[in-house]
Formats: sequence, C-alpha cells, structure tokens
Amino acid sequence: MNGFWRDSGVALAALVLLLGAPLAFSSPAFEDFIIRLSALALFATSLNLLVGGSGMISFGHGLFYGFGAYAFALLMQRTTLSLASAVLLTLFLAALVALLVGAVCIRLKTIYFAFVTLAIQMLFYSVIISWVSLTGGDQGLQGGIPRRVIAGIDINQQGHLYQFCAVLLVAGLFAMRHITASPFGMTLRMIRDNEARAAFLGIPLWRPKLAIFVLAGVFAALGGILASLFVSGAYPEFADWPFSGQAIFAVMLGGIDSFLGPLAGSAILLALNDIFTRLTEYHGLVQGVVILLFALGLRRGVLDFLRVLPGRGEVASR
Amino acid sequence: MTKHDVKNNDKTKPGLGRRAVLATGVTGALAIPFLARGAGNVLRIGVPTVLSGPIALLGTSSRNALLLEADRINAAGGLAGRKIELVFEDGKAQPQETARVARELVNTGGCELLIDATPSSGAFAVQEVVRDLGVLCIHTCSETSSLTADPKLRAPTAFRCARQGVHDSIAGGAYLAQFANAHKFNKWATCSPDYAYGRDTTAQFLDFFRHFKPDIELVTQAWPKLGQPDFTEVITKLIQARPQALFTLLYAGDLSAFINQGNVYALFKAMTVCTPNVDYPVLSAIKNIPDGIQSGTRYFEEFPPLPANKAWSEAYRKRFGQYPTNWAWQNAAAMMFLEAAAKKAGTSDGKTLVAVLSGLTIDCPFGTNGKITMREDHTIIDYAIGWGRTIAKPPYIADIKPADWGQIIELETAWKKQLGYI
Repeated sequence: MNGFWRDSGVALAALVLLLGAPLAFSSPAFEDFIIRLSALALFATSLNLLVGGSGMISFGHGLFYGFGAYAFALLMQRTTLSLASAVLLTLFLAALVALLVGAVCIRLKTIYFAFVTLAIQMLFYSVIISWVSLTGGDQGLQGGIPRRVIAGIDINQQGHLYQFCAVLLVAGLFAMRHITASPFGMTLRMIRDNEARAAFLGIPLWRPKLAIFVLAGVFAALGGILASLFVSGAYPEFADWPFSGQAIFAVMLGGIDSFLGPLAGSAILLALNDIFTRLTEYHGLVQGVVILLFALGLRRGVLDFLRVLPGRGEVASR
Repeated sequence: MTKHDVKNNDKTKPGLGRRAVLATGVTGALAIPFLARGAGNVLRIGVPTVLSGPIALLGTSSRNALLLEADRINAAGGLAGRKIELVFEDGKAQPQETARVARELVNTGGCELLIDATPSSGAFAVQEVVRDLGVLCIHTCSETSSLTADPKLRAPTAFRCARQGVHDSIAGGAYLAQFANAHKFNKWATCSPDYAYGRDTTAQFLDFFRHFKPDIELVTQAWPKLGQPDFTEVITKLIQARPQALFTLLYAGDLSAFINQGNVYALFKAMTVCTPNVDYPVLSAIKNIPDGIQSGTRYFEEFPPLPANKAWSEAYRKRFGQYPTNWAWQNAAAMMFLEAAAKKAGTSDGKTLVAVLSGLTIDCPFGTNGKITMREDHTIIDYAIGWGRTIAKPPYIADIKPADWGQIIELETAWKKQLGYI
C-alpha cells in the first residue's frame, strides 16, 4: 500500500509539473513535444507490459496503436459522439480486438508469438491500405478530426490539447504502474520467469496472459488516440511494422526492467529525432551512431544503467 | 552482489564524466527547440520537404529551386522589403513527422509562411496543421486533386501551386484519343503502380480517355508493386496480351527500370508506350531511350518554348549541375506567386497575402502562354501541359502539342459536379 501512495504522490507531482510548465514558460514546441511524447510513451510502456512484465515479445503491437487512431478518428468524423464517449468506445473496441488477437496468439511462445502478432498487424495494415472508402487508403484518413468541446475543454486550442494529453499520459502511466505492482503483475512476472512452476502452483497460464494482452492493447490504443489528435487524422504508418519497431526500440533504449524506461526511451528517441532532423539531412546516420553509442556504452537501457550506478548497490529486483 | 554485477560496476566508475557530459549535452540540446527565435526584418519561410529516402532527389530539387528564387528576390530587395530566409526540414515523407515539422517551423522556427514541398502523404497532414494554425501555406508537390477540389478538405489559408491529377488525366485522355484515332489503336493495356495513386489515376485517365474515344478495348491491366526491381513478369504478360498501345503511370526509378528492362524484351517494338511521367531524372537513368514513346512533359526546358523558361533552366543547371524536375518548377512558381502578391499588397503579412493570392495571375516562365493563374479555389491553372514523342537524342521530346485549357476546365468542372464538390 505504501508503494501505491508513493506512486500516487509521484504521479500528482508530475501532473502539477506538467500542467504548471506552460504557466512558467510558454513554448508551443515544448507542448508539441509532450503531446507526441504522451502518444509514444503510452504505446511503448504498454508494449513493456508484455515484453518486460510478461516475457511476451510482440512485434505487432502497432496494430492497437493504429486501431486506436483510426477508430477514434472515424468515430469523431462519422458520428456525433462526444470526445469522451469516442475515447471510451475506441478503448472498448480496442479491448475486443485485443481479446480476439490475444486468443489466437497467447498460446504461442517466443519467436512464434512475435511473428504471429506481426502477421496480424500486417493483415490490419493491408486492410487499411485496401479499404479506401473507409480509411482513405495509403493517403490516410483526411479531412481533420472534428474536435468537439467537452466540459470546457476545447482541444482545438493547443493549450487544452496539451493539458488533455498530459492528464491522459500521467493517468495512463499510473494505471499501468498499478497493474505491474499488483499481485496480478507479480503473477505475470512469475510466469515470465518460470512458466512451468507457475503452472504447478495452479495458475491457469492463459488467463493472466490474455488479460495483460488486452490491457496492453487498450493502453496502446490510447496512445493512438493522442497521436491522431496531434496530426488531426490517421495514417497507415501508425499501423505499419516500423512503428512497432520504434516502440521496441524505445523500450530497449530506456530500460526494459524499469517501469519508466519506455517513457525515458521515448523521450530520448523523439528528442534525437527532432534535434538531428533540424541540424542535418543525414539525421538517420547521426541518430544511428548516437544510439549505437548508447547501446555499446551502457549495454542496457538508460534507466536500467542508472540503477546500477556506483553506490546504488545491486540491481534492484524486477 | 553477483560477480557479474561487480564487474559491471567497476566498469561504470570511469564513466561518470561521460554521463555528466551526456546529461549536459542532452539537456542543452533539448532546450534549443523550445527557444523561440526573433524575426527582425527577415522573413522566414518554413519548408517541410523530403530530404531522405527514395524521393530525396525530388526534395533536393525543390530546395534548389527555392534557393534560386529566394536569392533572386533578395537581390531585388526582398519580399516587400524583407529578406527571405528559407528554413528546410525533412518530413521523411511520413505524415506524422511532416505535421510535426510544419508545426515546429511555425511555432518555434519563427516562420511566418510555409511552402509545403512534400508529396500527398505529407501534404494532407500539413493541410490539417495549416487549418489549425491559420498560417499561409502553398503546397507545391501534391498532385492529388481532392486537396483543393474537395471543399471538406480545403483550408482557407492553403493554396496549391502544383499540377493536378485531374488536369493531367484530361489532357492525356484528349491527346491519346487523337493519337489512337490517327493510328487506329483500339486495343490498350495499362501498367501502373499498385497503390492508390496508380489505381485511382489510371481509372480517372481511362474515364476521360473513353470520353474522347469510347470504342477502346482494354486487353489487360498490370499492377506492379511500387519499387519492384524486376518487371520481367509484367513485361511478358503485357507482350502476350498483344495490345496496340500501353498507358503507364510508373514513375521515377520504376519507370526508368521498366523502360530499361522493356528494351531487353523489345517491348517498344511490340506496342506504343504512353506515359505522362517522363522527366529529366527518368531520362538520365535510361540507357537507350526508345523512339516514339508518347510522353507528357512534367518539366521540360523546351516547353513552353519561352526564352524565360530556357533561361531559368540554364540558371538552375549552372548553379546545381543537374536538370530541374517537375517539383523544381512548381516550387519556383510558388515563390513567384509570393513575390507578385507581396508586390501587389505592399506587405509580406500572411493574412493580407491570402486575399491577394486568390485569383492572382502572374507572369511565369512555366505558364502555357507565359502566365499562370491561382484560381479562386486556391489551385493553379494555365501551367504548361504538353504531350509529344520521345527521341533518342536531346532534347528527347519532340512535336509537343500543348493541352487545351478551355477543355480541361470544362471537363474538370463536370468532374467536380459529379463528385458533389460544387
């Protein structure tokens, strides 16, 4: 319970800091950065619920990110649902999709699990490309997302969109933190570390694995919703495999064993992209070299590395 | 503590300095984009474009053309007395990245205007940013007609200074119908890239082609993948179908690869190939240019046959050592529109320029008659569209016939009505 109150305090402090930042200095670029970070960090952290927390390496997690973006954008464009209703309905639909996909995938292990998730993601990607009348095909869902005002929040305004994303980022991370710290999260870690022992203890393996797969899908869809709000549309790239790769990269870069690792990894990844794109057209080369230096120099994610600093003692338990 | 951890910790000790440097560097670098830059008497124009990946060549040619024009305008005193500074950023042809770059250029880059030199995948994302920010933007590379034709997609401060798919389809349909009638070619085939542009524009072209020549017979259609390295299967399929003529929307590297491989199979002896997509980069990548390909002119220094067009191309070639592309003239024309609008309005203020640009006709080396008009629906007309036939030696395309803009506008209007745009 102490951990819960500590996490609540940290979440509250982070929220106050994020919401107060624009009052101290007004910077649209900073706000844009946090909005984009919210989307990627929720996506990457949800992936780490599977990769780090449960040992299920999904290569197709972008399916849910893309699904969230498209479902939300279509609901806003084609219905008169309020913002909150569209968000909740999108998350519900994402849960259903994750349930179906999870039912197929979770009985598989290691590389087979990874590749079946990837195959299903590419199937979804092909549907987006082919179903032009609904999705706009490879040109994406155009025409903008109608941004209806709800409870005084007008996300047409950059400041309000920033606050909306900041709140969802903190709330989403807090919820995921609670999941990992709960007995349910511990059960998953036990399955990850020794599946046979967990089965001998009477745990029906498929149930927690399917549950975490669905939850991870829902949080990834939440990231997709924020991404679609930022670009005011949805694009096939959101559901393409390189985007899943980017989330895996953020997890590895930030630290697979630290809860905030994917958040840190996402921030580093976005910052490197933004800085080097601005400085040189050979940004891919420079980013690659910098990331290589991180990988070779730290030999683990940044936050995982910081946890083994001298004076910090042993690596904290997972 | 395990042996492994001890070893690891020992190795990390000397790394403290590195970490400090890393942290300071990252913090400093992170802060840079959040610091707004002052404007002064310099007019910053943001240019999201594509500087990496397979179409970087086109993005680079856009940058070249804009630099050429900015230097010319600056030498003449600038835009309403303000020196132009162009700020280029790579959107990587990805919509979300292009949207980010466009927002950043305006929000923190101090850019007052945008020239969006990205293909349709980026242009539609930029359109939404423009709708949000209300900044004046000229799209210079997206040829997808709906960007400005569909009132739902139109943004009040966004313009397009680029050719359009529907214009090319009408002009191509009219020219090729005449050509087919003259040669009694009724059996046709198509070969276009297998994605929205290829399929939609082929269908649109066939609609207009049938409008002018209803009795054509379509014997086969091939849909190679974008970037496909080997066209053997496609070429043999086409030859076996025995069409008299082939219409293709392959472009850039795909088109040059198709022509090079088609030469090996004597494809060009078996049928007449017609394409609107031959341009200088394609010509430079073809080993032996076959005679008699019926070709549109995307950018061609001989067409329109105006001294100003030739002079512009020569200036471009002299400075950059290569021929201009279709994207190059479109970007240059956008700068010419800004120059003329600022001159007319006496200011470089974006909101004022929006009102002036709408309906503006300028002298322009790329216009059919030396003039191009920015129509009230924020897209250009009267730019050079011509069709001719390829020859193996420079100037590579001969007997160019200009398209009839009266006919284009008449059929475009009917097309818009059919889709409920007007």
